[in-house]
Amino acid sequence: MNDVIVAMENINKSFPGVKALDNVKFELRSGEVMALLGENGAGKSTLMKILSGVYTRDSGTMSIFGKEYEDLTPKQAQEVGVAIIHQELNMCKHLSVAENMFLGREKRGKLILKNTEMEEEAKRILDDLKIDINPKQAVGELPVSKQQMVEIAKALSINAKILIMDEPTSALTAKEIEELFRIIRKLKENGCGIVYISHRLEELQHIVDRVTIMRDGQYITSMNFADTTMDQIITNMVGREIKEKFPRVECKKGKKVFEVKNLNAGRMVRNVAFSVYEGEIVGFAGLMGAGRTETTRAIFGVDAKESGEFYLDGKEIKINCPMDAIRAGVVLAPEDRKKDGLCTKLSIRDNLTLPNLDLVCNKLQVVDNRKEKELCDKAVEDLKIKTPNVEIDAGNLSGGNQQKVVVGKWLARDSRVVIFDEPTRGIDVGAKVEIYNLMNKLKKQGIAVVFVSSEMPEVMGIADRIIVMCDGRITGEVMAETASQNEILTLATSFENKMIKDN
Amino acid sequence: MNGNKKNPLKQVLAIRGMGATLTAFAGLIMIYLAFGLINSTVFTGQNIMNLLRSMSKYLLIGIAQSYVLITGNIDLSIGSMVGMSAMIAATLMTLGVNPILAIVITLICCLAVGVVNGFLVGKFKLPPFIATLGTMFVTRGIAYMVNGNRNTDAIATGVGKETADNFQNFFYYGTTLGIYNTFWIAIVVFLIFFFLLSKTRTGRHIYAIGSNVDAAKLSGVNVVATTTKAYLVSAICSCIVGLILCAQAGMGNMEAGNMYEMYGVAAGVIGGVSPLGGTGMLLGTLAGASVWQTLENGLNMVGAQVGIQRIVIGIIVVFAVLLDVVVRTGQIGKKNKNAK
Repeated sequence: MNDVIVAMENINKSFPGVKALDNVKFELRSGEVMALLGENGAGKSTLMKILSGVYTRDSGTMSIFGKEYEDLTPKQAQEVGVAIIHQELNMCKHLSVAENMFLGREKRGKLILKNTEMEEEAKRILDDLKIDINPKQAVGELPVSKQQMVEIAKALSINAKILIMDEPTSALTAKEIEELFRIIRKLKENGCGIVYISHRLEELQHIVDRVTIMRDGQYITSMNFADTTMDQIITNMVGREIKEKFPRVECKKGKKVFEVKNLNAGRMVRNVAFSVYEGEIVGFAGLMGAGRTETTRAIFGVDAKESGEFYLDGKEIKINCPMDAIRAGVVLAPEDRKKDGLCTKLSIRDNLTLPNLDLVCNKLQVVDNRKEKELCDKAVEDLKIKTPNVEIDAGNLSGGNQQKVVVGKWLARDSRVVIFDEPTRGIDVGAKVEIYNLMNKLKKQGIAVVFVSSEMPEVMGIADRIIVMCDGRITGEVMAETASQNEILTLATSFENKMIKDN
Repeated sequence: MNGNKKNPLKQVLAIRGMGATLTAFAGLIMIYLAFGLINSTVFTGQNIMNLLRSMSKYLLIGIAQSYVLITGNIDLSIGSMVGMSAMIAATLMTLGVNPILAIVITLICCLAVGVVNGFLVGKFKLPPFIATLGTMFVTRGIAYMVNGNRNTDAIATGVGKETADNFQNFFYYGTTLGIYNTFWIAIVVFLIFFFLLSKTRTGRHIYAIGSNVDAAKLSGVNVVATTTKAYLVSAICSCIVGLILCAQAGMGNMEAGNMYEMYGVAAGVIGGVSPLGGTGMLLGTLAGASVWQTLENGLNMVGAQVGIQRIVIGIIVVFAVLLDVVVRTGQIGKKNKNAK
């Protein structure tokens, strides 16, 4: 058995309001690829950020190459030999490959940089890995896969022995994945330990030796990959009981309200088609990056799309920009409240009336204060927005109340379809229930509700029908009452099998 | 991909910012020839001399602003530093201080402004537009106060006619090898800072923090020091331009250098320096300053009014950036699909 090169024990880490890691342990041996698995928010990234010095732990011990370490800075971690290859690549895209690889530790004579020498060494490292990249090329001109290779080469050039790869294959094609795996195998032979974080379970068999599974900030288990099955892994990933209670309302399913056909918008929205009926809430489940947010944005007309047909109450509607969607009665409460949902520095009143100025203005486009007040008072009352008055900055409200303002913007109009993208993210339990009740209320009024959420229990508890997406495609549809978490997660991780497709 | 090696032209074009630089130089030649054909005095030796001298100031200002722009920041205090430099140098000399000592003191004052800029932006993370807007007002205020809210007398009244002439000749009126000294000063400064930016670690770090400050920091680049160095280069160049203006007038003018920070942006941007940071080279700035001055000179020669000159410069700046955007993305005004 190979030496243990990383041993983390009893790691605890809290962020305000969340216990991100709870007594987690982790072990990595030299010459192995360890898959670190878990759903979004299981604490994988947090744990790896502690190992690479980005975060500091609250308590627990960490030893690397048998030596105990207190809190590390990213630079110290690098010196010890830990390198992390981020999901969103961290490179200076204007600089060349060699320049990036030697950034911060350039070779130089007395004054002048030894460019040729650095380029040669970069070339040597790249050749070693059999990567065909010209070290003089600007990183920004390379395809993402090659940029990733450069990051790996950079890590090796600083003699990293512990490589953390966060979703390294998400942006790669089959051929490129092949290439990456070849390099990973080579690193393994050289005695590097590799932590491999991925949601693409079907890839694991090609590369992984052991797996560690985390769930809700806790260490669940670790085992040899060969001794386990995919079902076992998935069960361990989701195996929580649903604790919270969800207020479900039964309605009679009515006529079809909204239908989307043949929606395509880039890689993240491919051939999406679904319909929503009166009196039902349709949930969208999937892992982060599955293309759900992109789908909602494409429907709402925010991002350009290649194709797509929309039918509202049987009539075709054209949506080319958000204004089209709003006029037709299809509205979106976006994922990122602070960025896309609200003008945080404007008052609640300003926010509520922003998309409804056509309703509250008179013929001369002057705002009618009386109508505006009516509209705001109604929204505050209907949605139970907790605020002393509507002149307070929207940014000062709690998350739940902010969410209510976002929704309130749309309810003043007679909307037919309301799309909620992660409406409960970052808000407390009580406020969550109010949001659920709000969705139920819309459902009872016959408004079609689309509910996107990454939290499986809440989708299963609130939605009537669940559409699962993975990698830009709809991979399945289940009825909430009969579906199991395992079933949904299996659908959510059914990536196209790139490894075989290429042959 | 490795075909680059075989094609020398491609290899040259692959150098950061070379494309825009070559475009600007091509534009320069065309503009020069066009005006020359309209009015042949454009080609006379005296005009070329004047052109090189007027271009020199803008080159220095362009270098100042380009360094800061490449780090992804901006320096609005350049013009005020020019004014302060001219006023401090002139005031000291009217008081009889030896010119060399006066220059040293002036330089120290400008460097102090550079350090303040660097710390406000690098260390305290103020938006550079605001931080240097502040120092712009303060520095201009100092320029006013140096001599009690009025322009200085002729420097000859303090240091004597001979010393004053020497000072003025050194920076402005004298020639070496038949070309005005101003040009030689600008070229020496240009070469030093060209070298610093393209061949040294500091230069590399300046590009890196302009390209991706987080990646640079995670790679161990000292962001505060690098930012400050860029502002110091800006301060040094501004100081020299102030001295040139002082020598030109033979006195200190409180309003000297007004708007120069924007001229610096124009020179840099015409030459392909991106205001978003990370790209551009000083050769481009040289081309940019030359295009601009050739244009101004040519328009003067054909009798165009100042108003026309300004309008043309404005159009050229916008056009240069638009061209850059079109070349890079291959499209105009289309929404970037991969924006998210």
